[in-house]
Amino acid sequence: MKRRFGVGCLFLVLGIVFSFSAYAADPIVIGVPTSTGFVEGKEGLAIVEMAVADINAKGGVKVGSEQRMLKVESIDIRDAAPGVPVPEALMGIEKLILEKKPAALLIGPFRSEALLAAMDILAKYKVPMLGTIAMTPASEGKIKQEPDKYKYVFRTCLNAKYLVSYLVGIMSFANKEFGFNKVYIMHQDVAWARATADGMVKNYFEKAGWTVLGQESYPTGASDFSSGLMKARSNGAQVILPIFDMPQSGTLVKQWKSMKVPALMAGFISPLAGPGAWKTFDKKIGGAINCNFELGSAIASKKVPPSVDFLKAYEKKFGKAMEAGHGPGPTWESVYILKEAIERAGSLDPDALVAEIKKTDRTGVMGRIKFDDGHQAIFGMDPKEAAVACVFQWNDKGERVNVFPESIADSKIKLPEGLKSAK
Amino acid sequence: MLLGTIVYAIINSVILILMSIGFNLTFGISGVSNFAYGALYILAAFVTWMLLYLVGLPYLVSALLSILFTAFIGALMYRFILMRVRGQVLSEVIATFGIGLAILEFFRYLGFVGVEYALPVFIDESFMIGNVYVDMQRILIVLSSAVLVFLLWLFVHHTSLGLAFRGIAQDERTALTFGMDSDWIATLSVSFGAGLAAIAATIIIPLGTITVSQGYDVLINALAVSIIGGLGSTGGVIVASLVVGFAQRFTDTYIGSHWTMIVSLVAILIVLVIKPSGLYGKQKELEERI
Repeated sequence: MKRRFGVGCLFLVLGIVFSFSAYAADPIVIGVPTSTGFVEGKEGLAIVEMAVADINAKGGVKVGSEQRMLKVESIDIRDAAPGVPVPEALMGIEKLILEKKPAALLIGPFRSEALLAAMDILAKYKVPMLGTIAMTPASEGKIKQEPDKYKYVFRTCLNAKYLVSYLVGIMSFANKEFGFNKVYIMHQDVAWARATADGMVKNYFEKAGWTVLGQESYPTGASDFSSGLMKARSNGAQVILPIFDMPQSGTLVKQWKSMKVPALMAGFISPLAGPGAWKTFDKKIGGAINCNFELGSAIASKKVPPSVDFLKAYEKKFGKAMEAGHGPGPTWESVYILKEAIERAGSLDPDALVAEIKKTDRTGVMGRIKFDDGHQAIFGMDPKEAAVACVFQWNDKGERVNVFPESIADSKIKLPEGLKSAK
Repeated sequence: MLLGTIVYAIINSVILILMSIGFNLTFGISGVSNFAYGALYILAAFVTWMLLYLVGLPYLVSALLSILFTAFIGALMYRFILMRVRGQVLSEVIATFGIGLAILEFFRYLGFVGVEYALPVFIDESFMIGNVYVDMQRILIVLSSAVLVFLLWLFVHHTSLGLAFRGIAQDERTALTFGMDSDWIATLSVSFGAGLAAIAATIIIPLGTITVSQGYDVLINALAVSIIGGLGSTGGVIVASLVVGFAQRFTDTYIGSHWTMIVSLVAILIVLVIKPSGLYGKQKELEERI
């Protein structure tokens, strides 16, 4: 009798489980095709998972009348690695789309070349993507030229044009405050970095009367910058403008210090972005200025409380501080932009989703996010009005002090020890 | 500027010697092209990092244990995999390349990605040479490489094991008739090569950070230098490293940084066209082979 009762209970439990699983809606798949072997991709994926866990814990996403969970499917497309051809990245994206049937993609390619090529795949399969790494403004041009075809592509991070505007802010300050007007540019030989360097020369340095002493482009993977630094020193550069997102660019900082080049290092070097750089570079990066591409990407401001909460939540969940200065902030926001768009659209229809993503107007870790006609998040100088990047300076205590834009600045730029004002 | 370029060209050349000498030693003795060489370099760097920061051992102890561990992995690699395919060149290349990929991608899979993976410099000082500052780590690289090459020369010329190495390298069949165990010597040669990769890693890595993709760069550099110098020739490696090292730095200074990557490839092409066996290679020339 007892045995029969036990078997009956077992069938009852199994029946309940199966009936629930039969009626429970399938999860909404979010695809994350990116270079997970790089810190921006690795932390970006972790942030998507963190946001998804957060949303699922609160009941998931409301699609019409049903509540559905989110599920993350990722693939390492390796496009950030030197020598990996664009078609390999495209194959990864297509594989993810065909095998996992995602409702949308997040983060996306690192290299602008890969993003531009991937736009046709996204158009072919009608899969919306909120990109948070690749920065070429050329993607916006394609969207504006053929909006019906390329409307599925959005960018939540800043683009090279916006980066130029922040770098111009730093250079203008250095010119006004210290009288600096001689710059040496060192950048990675990739589309976004070339566009940023060229944009700085054409849009600022030439017009503002600066002397560009040299512009060196380094192939991805380069790890010796001695020649460029010697040229900068011998030509009397007052400012070195670095633009790099490869891990090997950390060597540039070490060489700048060890070769005692008397010039302000101000630009973007990805390994300098997070708090771990202080230990990595033997506590010798005091004075270096870095532009983290988005507020919330390894840098916060007390003036934008969600950015502080976000970094604390990340550290609490993963037990270590965020290090990527490009991607994490917009990736977190992208998950919520997508969630809200799905809920407003009431369906997963890609065209309906795109229409709703375009209407986004939310305030989060990066400030206020709205998209322009090229599906680019609008960046500005005030987080109440637009999304913002954050320029900070390392001080000699190992602290990162926000210096630009003024709306989130805690201090002005200070010259490192040994460097004198030209005024 | 010229002096500075020469100083950094010498350093660059020495780094290339360090990066490739292990690969060349293994090929010269056992004939095995160890395509896992770059991966072993990265393995050593990560093991040193783990011992230093996770286990808390002193730096030198961590580096020493890492070198021994990597050499041991090299020996295991030969005994359990390469010995079975020895003599089948294509199989050796595929096997070693596969092992290398597995090691590198395993680290990537485990999440060994980020700026925190760096090793500290031995001495944090800079010195003025002429009119250019050079850090102590780079000077140590040059000094330690000179010592390493000298010790290697002493080993292969004045120890019985080293003489056995040379015997196998010169003529394996004759060496066998003298009772030398070619498999044991080959095991040691792969192990020594792996150990040299580990030494290079612990000395060079402090200049930057540890990244998985560096494994591929190290392999390419080692291959380039060995092909130009002549596979298996230590003297060839030294000369080729100087040629490539100087060409890279002078290209960087006087032509443009983005051309430096092409220099080694062009050098390989030129050498293959003019002298297919490399500058000091002892392989048969093309006309002799056909």
